[in-house]
Amino acid sequence: MKKIWVVLLMTGMLISPAWGADTIKIAITGPFTGGSAPMGASMRDGAMLAVTEINAAGGVDVNGRKMPFEVIERDDEAKNERGALIGQELASMTDLSGVIGSVNTGVVLAGDKYLQEKGITKIITPAAGSASMTQWSKAGVPELSIFRFAADDGIQSAMVVEDAIKRHFTKVAIFHDSTNYGVSGRDDLMNQIKKQGNKLQVVATEKFNIGDKDMTAQLLRAKAGGAQAILIWGIGPEMAAVSNGMAKIGMKVPLIGGWTLCMSNYIDNAGKNGDGTLMPQTFIEDPITPKAKAFIEAYHKAYHVTRIPSPVSAAQGYDAVYIFAAAVKQAKSTDTHKVKAALEDLREPVKGVIATWNHPYSKWNPADEQTHEAFRRAQVVMGVIKDGRVEFANESDRKQFIENAAK
Amino acid sequence: MITAQIVVSGALMGLVYALVAYGFQLTYATSKSINFGQGELVMLSAFFSLTLLDWGVPYWLMVPGGLLFGVLLGLFVERAAVRLALEQKSEGWILLTIIVGLLGFSAAENIWGRDDRPFPTPISSDALHIFGVSITPVEISVAIGVFALMGLIELFKRKTLLGKAFEAVSADREAAELMGISATRTVMLSYGLSGLVAAMAGILVSPITTVGPTMASALILKAFSVAVVAGLDSGFGVVIVGIFLGSLESLTSFYIGSGWREAPGLILLILALAARPNGVFGKAGIRKV
Repeated sequence: MKKIWVVLLMTGMLISPAWGADTIKIAITGPFTGGSAPMGASMRDGAMLAVTEINAAGGVDVNGRKMPFEVIERDDEAKNERGALIGQELASMTDLSGVIGSVNTGVVLAGDKYLQEKGITKIITPAAGSASMTQWSKAGVPELSIFRFAADDGIQSAMVVEDAIKRHFTKVAIFHDSTNYGVSGRDDLMNQIKKQGNKLQVVATEKFNIGDKDMTAQLLRAKAGGAQAILIWGIGPEMAAVSNGMAKIGMKVPLIGGWTLCMSNYIDNAGKNGDGTLMPQTFIEDPITPKAKAFIEAYHKAYHVTRIPSPVSAAQGYDAVYIFAAAVKQAKSTDTHKVKAALEDLREPVKGVIATWNHPYSKWNPADEQTHEAFRRAQVVMGVIKDGRVEFANESDRKQFIENAAK
Repeated sequence: MITAQIVVSGALMGLVYALVAYGFQLTYATSKSINFGQGELVMLSAFFSLTLLDWGVPYWLMVPGGLLFGVLLGLFVERAAVRLALEQKSEGWILLTIIVGLLGFSAAENIWGRDDRPFPTPISSDALHIFGVSITPVEISVAIGVFALMGLIELFKRKTLLGKAFEAVSADREAAELMGISATRTVMLSYGLSGLVAAMAGILVSPITTVGPTMASALILKAFSVAVVAGLDSGFGVVIVGIFLGSLESLTSFYIGSGWREAPGLILLILALAARPNGVFGKAGIRKV
């Protein structure tokens, strides 16, 4: 019996160190089940597509040696407490090069502090809540290992308000859910309305809880106030209930809101009532460029679907892995601290499916969280739902994107 | 007009609370026990019915199938969690029904996943306008279903021999047993009916709420309030309290603000417990020591 243990121990000792040395170990975290799953699972699948491509080519060139990615997955179930546990677990791994993921702002707030403490590099995607990054500028940390790869709510809310003004609306209602994401979205919208010259009068500010299905009372308040559009911040199932409730009481005004309106659980549950819904998008499942075409086809083929559940998350997950790989290559090391330094000064452009990323991040400046934000207004467009698919809301944006890609 | 619309929408949700609350009453009447996993029964029956639809079973055949599944679940809860505890005159059924509920929840997560799914129905969800109030045929079907099922069960209790046995055990278990009525079988019957009611609630509300493992967790708390406020042995009292609570919630969220939506139900529960511990429609019981 003793002999067996000795043998087991020895083989164990032989195998484990060999692992860490030859691979770039990263973690992908997000909600792979539950109401946010379309985003989490699409992000993971998009990221895994990139990992598979890179590994198939032998891996990333790290100081003259080809190293493949080794991925560990953690399902945070969109629960803040799970996020904290996963954050602690990942922070205790000494050979981890980095983390990619997180969909829910609450989960980010609960988990990222453990990673930051140990200086583990993380690229947040696709969580968009402003608080994920402003928590660090508010705390004034001198060094930050957390980066974001998503159009933050600041950009998104600016676009939503902009769109409402462009459509000559003067009275709007704001709807939001009671989560961190919904409440901070409401504040962003209010700020943007003020910033863009108070051209919109908010006739009702309404809250709903996760799981609420009867939105009649809230909608009637909006209707009584004469709202010409509803600006909304929440996740799929409840926003679908809002959409269906509007159809019921015969309220025909557009729903404009955060990018979560492109989630399949919004589109499926709202059905035809969802047509005409507007939201900012970083990627639209439309093969307008060769790169986008290849990505969409590869995704459909790899996961046997005809529609990506959340195209934005999938494309962001994909590009985030390539940016991370570029940083590892430039750092010539899998050490997470060196990868962070390389990310802050990425010299070579990274050709992604969303855009070509030129120096996406710069040295962290506590006074300006934009230093660790990759997306700018130019990389985001308005999308519209038509027959259950998200399309470009403005033909001019579509042309612009084709031109940019041709450059 | 707006008030009418709010009251109608709220009342319809209230009817669903009432139906679930009615499931509590059925088992409480015969055995003085409650299935705390009633919400999971609603959810499991809804998932099962959805699966039947996915298999291509037509809607009108799916309904009896789903209801039968509910009855079986109810009987299972009685056998697994309630019977032994009652035989030993212990309160073990409280924990046991919660545990069976948790098992059902995990099973649903593993079998059907954690996503909310739409529940197809042949009944239209395009709104009709009656006296300026918008209401969808799906919502009308909920109202009809609730009243029809509760009416049938009440009729069954009053007009059939088996139903009279049910009433007899509710009134006095020992006396009924001395008359040759099997209390155990009557309790089984009440759990079967309670499962049937849960399945009906699941099938009726799913087109509105979508189907997911957590679909009944909010519902069940409200239903419990309704059952307690109405009185656990009041029959149709739950309908009145259900409608009242549903409308009150909607009115609060319109006139005071959507953040206060849950408040009236809780205040009502506290008030009822303080003023009428047996429920607004409950009979004050005499407990002989």
